[in-house]
Parts: sequence; C-alpha cells; structure tokens
Amino acid sequence: MKTQTKAAILIGLFCITIVVLFGFAIYFFLNKYSFGDFYKRLETRLSIAEKFYLERDSLNTEKVRQLFDQHLEKLDKEQEYVIELKSGVSIQGVSNTHDFPKLFLETLMQTGKGQARKGNTFYAGLSENIKGKRYLIVVSAENYYASHHLIFLRNIILISVLLVILIVLFFSFYFSRQIFFPLSRIMDKVKQISTESINLRLDENNRSVEIRKLVKTFNELLSRIETSFETQNNFISNASHELRTPLTAIIGEADVALLKQRSHEEYQKSLQNILTQAERLDEITNSLFFLAQTGYKGKSILFERVRTDEVIFEAKALIDRINPRNKISIDLSLIPDEPSKLKIKANKQLLHIAFCNLLGNACKYSNNNLVTVYVASTDNQVIISIKDQGIGIPEPEISYLLDPFFRASNANLFEGYGIGLPLTKNIINLHNGQIIVKSQLNKGTSVQIKLPLYLD
Amino acid sequence: MTKNILIPIDFCVASLNTLKLVLESNKAQKISVILVHAEYLSDSEMDLLFYSPYNIIDKNLTVEFKEALEILKNRYSTLEGIFIKLFHGNNLNYMQNFLSANKIEEIYLPKTYQLKQAKRTFNSVTLFKRSSLPVFEMDWEQHLNETEQEHLSALFNRSL
Repeated sequence: MKTQTKAAILIGLFCITIVVLFGFAIYFFLNKYSFGDFYKRLETRLSIAEKFYLERDSLNTEKVRQLFDQHLEKLDKEQEYVIELKSGVSIQGVSNTHDFPKLFLETLMQTGKGQARKGNTFYAGLSENIKGKRYLIVVSAENYYASHHLIFLRNIILISVLLVILIVLFFSFYFSRQIFFPLSRIMDKVKQISTESINLRLDENNRSVEIRKLVKTFNELLSRIETSFETQNNFISNASHELRTPLTAIIGEADVALLKQRSHEEYQKSLQNILTQAERLDEITNSLFFLAQTGYKGKSILFERVRTDEVIFEAKALIDRINPRNKISIDLSLIPDEPSKLKIKANKQLLHIAFCNLLGNACKYSNNNLVTVYVASTDNQVIISIKDQGIGIPEPEISYLLDPFFRASNANLFEGYGIGLPLTKNIINLHNGQIIVKSQLNKGTSVQIKLPLYLD
Repeated sequence: MTKNILIPIDFCVASLNTLKLVLESNKAQKISVILVHAEYLSDSEMDLLFYSPYNIIDKNLTVEFKEALEILKNRYSTLEGIFIKLFHGNNLNYMQNFLSANKIEEIYLPKTYQLKQAKRTFNSVTLFKRSSLPVFEMDWEQHLNETEQEHLSALFNRSL
C-alpha cells in the first residue's frame, strides 16, 4: 500500500473514531438522562394516584383532582390503572388485559415497586395491601421527549457524523497528497536520470526541511555515483593505455630489429629490451588480475586467525630483500600487552600484499627516507599507521587516490601504474577494515588502517 | 599501591601524550589517572538547571580520543583507571579542594604543548603549577597543526 494512502487512512480513521465516539456518547447519555427524568415524573403521578384512589374516603377528591389537573402537566397518553388483585386472577391475565410487560408485573408483586418500558411507553407502578385487599396501581405514559426530540437529535448526529466522515476523508487524502507531492516530484525527476544524464541534479529549494535533506542526500549519492562512473570510464582508458605502452615498445623494437640484417649483439640487445617490456606487461596484467579478484566479495578466500604484527614484520622482510636501502622502522611503543589484542580474522597472503604495497610506496615516494610503522589496538580494532616523509599528495587529489590507475600529479618521476593502492583498498575492504590517507604536500603521507579484532 | 595522578586535557589526542610519557617512565607503578578538562561554568540559568557533567564530557569526547584512551589502556597494564572530570574554578581554593577530594598525589603537566583554548575554557596549567603537590612537567616535541592534534596519529609520536 502506498504510504500516502496509509497516512490518509490513519488520519481519517483516527478522526472518524473520535467523531463517532463523541456523537454516540452525546446520544447515549442524553437518552439515559431523559429516561431517568421521565421515570421520576411518572413516580410523582403514581404517588398522587395512590393517595387519590386509596385514601378516597378521607379526602375531598374533587378538589384534589382539580388541584393536580391545574398544576401538573398532562403527559402524552397518560393513563392510570388501579387493579384489585382478586385471588382467581393470575399475573398472566392482568398482563393480557392491560397490555403490561409481564416482567414488570412480576417485580411489582415481589418488591412492591417497579418501572418498565415497552417501546415508547413507560410504566411505573406499586402494589399495596389495604384492608386485606391487594391493589396494583400503575401509571403509564408515552415519553414525548424521547420519541421526538431524541430521534431528532439522533438524526442530527447521524447526518453530521456522516458529513464529518466525508470531510475528514477528503481532507486527509488531500493533505497526505499535499505532503507527498514533493516526493512524487522527486521520483519523476529521478526517473529522468539515466547513465547518459547522470550530471542532472534535483532541485534543493524546497520549503520542507526533511524533503530538502532527502534531496541533498540524493544529490550526494548521485555525485558519488557520477565519480565512480567516471572512474570506471577512466579505468578502461587508463588500462588500455598502460597495456599499450609496453606493447608499442615491443612492436617498435622488433620492427627496428627486423629492418635489416643486424649483428649478434644488436639482436641480443633488442631481445633484452623486448623481454623487459614483456615482463612489465606481465606485471601489469598480474596486478590487474589480483585487483579484479579482490574486487569481488570473496567467495573462495580463506580467513584465518592472523597476528597483525607478524604480517607487518614479514612485509618488512620482503621489502628489505627488494630494496635493501629502505629505512622502515616499526614502532612497538603502543603495541598492546595482550597478544590477543593483535589477532584479526584475515587472509595472510592478501594482507601481506597490502602491507608490502603500502610499505613499498612509502619507501618509493620518500626516496628511502625514514618510514615509521605504528601498531596499536583499541578494544575492538587494530590500528596500523604508516608515516613517511615523502613527497606527499596534493590535497585535491587525495580522494581519487584509491581509484585504479590514478596517479598523483607529482608522482611522474616515480615508476608505477597506480594499481597498488586500489588493490590495498580492496584487500582492506575484504577484511571489513578502513583505510584513511592523510597527506601534506612535500611533508609526508600517513596511511591509517583499522582492522576489526578477532573476538572470541 | 595505586598512585592517583592528575593530567589536564583538552580532548585532543595530542594532550594524551603527557599520559603516555608518564606511563612510559613509571612501568612498575600502578597508576590511576584523572583527566581534567578545565572550563568555567555556564552563565545561563537554563544550562545550570540541566547541568550534567556526563553530558558535557560526552559532547566533547571524540571517537579518536576514545580510541587513543583504549590504545593506552591496552598498551600499559599498569594503567588501573581512567576518569575524566570537569574542573570549573579558576582559583587556588577550588583546586586544593578538588585535589584532596580526588586524593591526587602527583600532577603532570605538558611543558611545551599548549592546551587548546575553546569558548569557556581557561588555562589550568598555570593554576596547577601553583599547587602544593609535586608537579612534573612532561615535554615532547611535536609540530602538528590544530586539526592534526585531534587525530589519532598525534599519539603515534616518534620523539617519545
């Protein structure tokens, strides 16, 4: 169900319930009050009738009658009955002859007093023993107020409740549509955005704060998608460029060598050159392959318990072999006392590649200056910080650093393809970690990696 | 015996270097530290009505500061307890009461590092220097700009 209809129905139901309850309460309590009031009036007449009929001997009956007729309002269809109960007559008989409710007569006989209602006719009565004889005195009348005023009131309430329901339904649907109108407008606009028109943005000038926030979030998301789109496009062009450079070199070299007859040494030299370029090509494809493999959420990657510091020492050992002039120093001043605080769930080979990349980069871009690695751990993650004093990265380029084939504008003097850091990022992501790069141009770069601890 | 010490902080990770130095130089001694943030009480009646030190501390605590505290706690098993408290009075009597109430035995202050001054804060370092307790000044070299002092990397410091 649409949220819009849901909201409208909720508001409508709520209002309708209140109105119906309100109308019902008015009718119910007024009805009850009018009944109670009417019984009281009947009872006044009953006591007068009792006096009048049973004490007829001691009173000036004509005078009393006159007095009451003058001062007491005559009720609608008011009737007085005085029934002498003879021994042969049953209650059923009395009920039949006078059309009284039977239950009313029974309570009258048992308790000596009683009230009842049959349709719109109200009865009040009492039974009394006088001079050995049993009398029933009953006064009945129709409740004019209940029969007319209350019905009128009921009709008014019914009609007004119906009207209110209609109005409430109309307004709740109207308002919910009004509220959700900007949303549908946003939807229409978003539908227009496709891969070709990804530079379109939603209008952020909306009066409602929530909608504005939503639009802003949408726009930010679009910006991110746009960047990643561009990265994708760049990736292909960069990748083909990177692959073509060594290929062109190989083709060129072979072409030149085959132009004419050459000496043995010359062939050897050109073959050597071709080999170097082919090796480079191999290196690029290998790292591309790795990048692709780690990019998919690992299916076949085996995770085990790994000590972070061990992996770092191994990575350092490898860098030492490749580049003996490096100055990597591992600072253990903040390493936790407990070894369990260093253990993470990881794939050792992948993590090894990631750290080798980072350490290698740090040495390369700082011309073998001092690189410091800090290892520390909080209660739920291991933090590794790698600081170098190298050339740094220009501020606006830091956000693109983790994109494949991106190379900072000041890195042209150094060899590289721009695959190492994206690969590292993929590996860290596979381990549910975070990588944060901070850098100052010509001062140095610090890479901070946070990996979740292996908690039992 | 655990030693109770006091260190003023400004909720920047860099200010925890004092604590790191203390722990580094007292490896046999068990230490319980009270980190003190100095700021004047608010003038607003509303603020005072709903005064809660926990909320004030919570508002100032950054994720990186918490991480730095956890790192120190994991590194040094001699660190028995860390408490963060607010310090509201810029006068000697308040300080003496505060120190005796918290059973402080020693005070450690940063020597060259300047605590960050925010809206209502005051320089508690000069005040603590006047206390009758033994006061030690810890020095470390650091050339970080203001935003870097808040980052975790401020704790990763070579020169210690």
